[in-house]
Parts: sequence; C-alpha cells; structure tokens
Amino acid sequence: MLPTRPDFQELKARFHATGAASRAGREALFPTAITDIDALLGGGLPCGSLITLEGCGTAGARSIAAVLLAQATRNGLGALIDGGDLYPPALEAAGVRLDRLLIVPAATPVRAARAADVLLRSRTARVVVMAVCGSTLRAAVWARLASLAQKAGAVLVVVCSGTPLTTRAIAALSAAATVCLSCRVDRPVHTGTRGIWGIFTGFELRAELRKHKFRKSLTPFVVNKLGMVQ
Amino acid sequence: MIVCVRIADDVRSDDVWHEILDALDAVTPLIEDVRRGVTLLDMHGAGGDFATWSANIRAALVPYTLSPCVGSGPNRFCAFAATWNGDGSQIEVGHEAQTLAPMPLEVLECDADVIERLHLLGVTTLGALAALPHGPFVRRFGPDAARWHDAARGIDRSPFVPRGHAISIEAAMLGEGSAQSEAAVVFALRVLIGRICSDLERSGKRASALQVEIELESADTARIEVQLAAATSQERAMLDVLRAKLEGSSFPAPICGLRLRALGLEEGGEPVPLLACDEIDRASVAVVLARLEAMLGEPVRRAQTRAAHPFEERFTYEPFTLAADRPKAERYRFGEAESTVPSIVPQLRLLAVTEIDVRLRRGEPSSIGERIVQQCFGPWRIEEGWFAAAHVARDEYDVQLDTGEICRIYRQGERWYLRGSYD
Repeated sequence: MLPTRPDFQELKARFHATGAASRAGREALFPTAITDIDALLGGGLPCGSLITLEGCGTAGARSIAAVLLAQATRNGLGALIDGGDLYPPALEAAGVRLDRLLIVPAATPVRAARAADVLLRSRTARVVVMAVCGSTLRAAVWARLASLAQKAGAVLVVVCSGTPLTTRAIAALSAAATVCLSCRVDRPVHTGTRGIWGIFTGFELRAELRKHKFRKSLTPFVVNKLGMVQ
Repeated sequence: MIVCVRIADDVRSDDVWHEILDALDAVTPLIEDVRRGVTLLDMHGAGGDFATWSANIRAALVPYTLSPCVGSGPNRFCAFAATWNGDGSQIEVGHEAQTLAPMPLEVLECDADVIERLHLLGVTTLGALAALPHGPFVRRFGPDAARWHDAARGIDRSPFVPRGHAISIEAAMLGEGSAQSEAAVVFALRVLIGRICSDLERSGKRASALQVEIELESADTARIEVQLAAATSQERAMLDVLRAKLEGSSFPAPICGLRLRALGLEEGGEPVPLLACDEIDRASVAVVLARLEAMLGEPVRRAQTRAAHPFEERFTYEPFTLAADRPKAERYRFGEAESTVPSIVPQLRLLAVTEIDVRLRRGEPSSIGERIVQQCFGPWRIEEGWFAAAHVARDEYDVQLDTGEICRIYRQGERWYLRGSYD
C-alpha cells in the first residue's frame, strides 16, 4: 500500500529531526580531501561552479584534479575529458575508481567543450575534469559551461597546464570561473642523489588562490609532499 | 515436491530440447533446465499426486517418442537420484538418507577421479559416504565435498532456478508516404516505445537492448541496435537513448516505416533506495553514453590497469559500462573503502613520443635541447619481447629540467625520446 500523506509528513519531520536536513545544506560544498585547500576554501569547492587549476609544465594541477575525481568516484560518477595524454594507473594510485570514471576522448577543444556540455546537462557526474592545453575557446563557451555546471550542481574542473594559454584565453576562462587556483612546484622531492640509486618520490606544491567569487582573502598556501607513482 | 524428468535417449539438438521444455509447461510453469536431457519441475501448489503428474508428463512428451524416466523427491538432488532407482521412483520426506544409502557414488555426478579415489578408500555407496565424518572429508576432498556429503544424506539447499521464457516484444509502424521531418520520426518512435514499454510492464520484463529497423523509400532497411547501460522498461530512458543514437545517423532516402524490437529481456524489478542522493541513475548514464557516442563517433571509455613493464602497456580501454553495484547497506556492512582518504599522486601525462636532442655528460643526460638537466635519475632498463620479432629494449630516465618540469625520457638504441611529463 502506498504511504498516505500524514505518514509522509511524519517521515519528513523525523528526517529533519535527525539533522540530515542541515547536512544537506552543507553539501553545497564539495570537499577536496586536501586539508590545506579545504581550510582555505572554507570547507571545499562550491558545488555548481567552474574551477580552474592553472600552472605551466610540472605544476601539480592534474594531481589536484585527480584527488577531486577520487572524491567524486567514491560515491558516484566522475568524468574526464581526455585529450589523449591520460595515464590511468596514476589516477588509480590517486584513489580514483576507474570503473566509475567516464573517460571521454576529445581530441579538439571544441569537441571537449561539447562533451562537457552533454555531461553537465545529464547531471550524471559530480565532477567533470577537462584539460585545455593552449586552446582558445571563446568566453561565451566558458560562460555557458559555468552556467550548466551551476544548474547541474556539479564541479567543472578546467586544468590549464602544459602549453601556456594566451592572456586573452586566461581572461576568458577566469571571467567565468568561480575559483581560480594557480599551482607551481616548490621543489621536487627525491631519495638518493643520482643514477639508479635516486628516485623522484614526489614534489612540494605551492598553490595560490587567485580568485574566489564568495571569499575576499586570497592567500597562498603550500600543499605537503606528494608521492610519485612508479 | 520436485519432479525430475531424465531422458535417456539422445536429444538431437538444443532446439528440440527447448521444444520439450515448452511442452512440459503444460504440467507446471516452474521448470528448471538442468542440462540437455535432465529437467526439474517444481510441483508445489499443483493439484494431484505423483501418479497424475507422471501421466501428464508422459502425455506431454508423446509427440517426441522419447522414453522419460520420472522420479520425485523433496529437493532437487533427491528428485534426480530417484530417477536412478527406475522410472516412477519416489523418495519420501524423512526417508531420504535410507533411500539414498544403497545408491552408487555416480549419482553425485562428480569427477571420475574423485569416485576412483573414494572407491580406493572403500567408499562405494552414498550410505558409506554419508557415514564419513564431515570435517575431515571436506578438508581432504575440497569445498565441493561439503555438497557431496550433504547430498549423500539427502540434503540439498541449492535453490530451484526456473528457466526464462522466450517472448518476442516488438512493435511496427508503416505510414503512407514518408516522414517529412525529424520530429515526425521521433513522434513515431515515441508511439512505438510506448507500446513496447506497456508490453514489457505487462510481462514483468525489462529490455537491455533495442533494435530499430528503419525502412526507407528506396526499399532499403537500416538497422540500428542500441545496448542500454542497464535493463529498463522506462519509456523516457529508451526514447532518450534512441533519440541520441538517431541524432548521429543519416539515411540515403526518406523514412517510410519503423519497427522496434526489445531484446535481451530480463526479469523485472530492481532495488530502489528510499533516499537516492548518492545512487547512480543508470537510465541517465545510458542516455549520456549514447549522446556522447553519437557526438564523438566513438564510445565513452573505461580504463583498466594491468601489470606490465612499459608505461603504455599498463592500461587498456574498453567501452564504458556501469558495473553492477552492491546495495549500499551491504557495502557499509562490510566496511569497504567508503571512508578512505585518497592520496595525492603526481599525474604522468603520456605525450606523443617525440625524438629529442639529448647531450650526455659522464653517460647521463646533461641537457635536452636548450634546457639544462638539473637532476637525473635512472636508467631503468625495460627489455621485452626478446624472444619475438617485436623486441623492445630501452633505458628510461626521470629528469628535472631548469624550467622545473619533470619529464620521463628514454633511450632506444642511439636515439632519445620524450615519453611524458609529470603534473
């Protein structure tokens, strides 16, 4: 027999009494599981936003994106728009559940943007990661993707590493972004000194909050040592 | 009560066997297809006694001119064992062990070498097997021995698995003239899906694939087969997937007819959580997979890792399918990695392999093009396929350049290549 309205009201009241409703309010933040970043952002990344992770060359931007995907795939689906340079074992080592990660092959920036559009509209993935290496998508495209992310309540992570972007491209992307994190490697960490006796074990990362729509203080911080996958 | 029908004659083919099973539907709808020649019938709730059922079974099998051996018992094994005692044998409830005791070990249908070992130990009947101590027997003969020991005592806890019934669910629409627009095709498709879904719901089934036959004015027929990520009977989910598939298709002539068929029918019903905040909506996933495939021209992928020496062989891709997940309550019960905190691991970008200009000092890379190598670790030798024509031998290095970039490079023969960079 279907529950009657009073029964449902009672269930709803009990649901609120357990504090689950207040927890639902906090779910507007997506915790990154990186203590320093969460502390700086006041608990996590805002859901329904476009986040940029910037840096040139070895900057650690993809490492942070991998952590976000690991968080997303713990309880749901994540999506990664792959430009062809993906190394899945490193993602797995970062805790990403590969069986819950949609890897969308998109060779060109336009295809990547269209794939992100479809993914965000579907509301299936909590985190969508796309890398833009020197791409020149128009500001209108980023604005549309940011709007879709907001409607879907998902986090769209745009990784700008590898080839440096033009000033115009950065400006277009930053305008649409809710949070802009700039990353760079402070120093690589290694064991041994040289030859086969030495090995890079990771690097120390410095990240700077360049933009946050909802917070005023923008302070740089250091993410602790990262472990290198071998 | 379970009735077993064992047919000693050779049943020519699977088709004939399935015809026989269909004929036995007249006796009871609950039929388990054990293998070709052996079937079990669940007679719980059926009127009459064993003599009536046996007569009905023989009547149903008359057209096939076979000589069936019919037996009954309180469980699956006892019913099967009864057929070894001759046609019309019964094993009564409470007398299982004593009826089975004189039977040979071959009734268990275990491997010949196991039976031979038991014979060497002086165990030749089910009664002798049942008399053995359970623990030592299982330890000596492996986990399957627990089942044999139970069976010898007339205990069989394996469930009765009724066979599925093959039903065809399809709908067709042929118009006069051709569809003038895409909207007309989608509208026709929606009508057909509505009919299919109502048939599926009526029969308590879900479809895991759809097949659309599109008849064109040029008398050609285009066929599109769509695999659904999860079996469904939801009209909306099917329409979205088919629509996405059609968006990426073009036809050489106007469409004048559609035929839709539901394939891969499964039993209906799936657990749905009350508070579904974290559960994955399989129908939405199916739609987004179809849309992305239609847009990109290739399927969305899922990566799998494997052990290998070269980086590029440590993973493979396959089309994404959503793995069946255990219920949440079960995951919590076992305390799986729901609470594990992910670690931060630098990500390797596998760049297109490009030849680079490397200068050496004391046998180690000192510069790559214009960039100075500040630190270099390696070489790590990778040698594979030395026994085959595809022999790969290379030395890999991790180098840190003066720009701060950390790269993976390798030397193969006299040439140097850039393999990837860490980020």
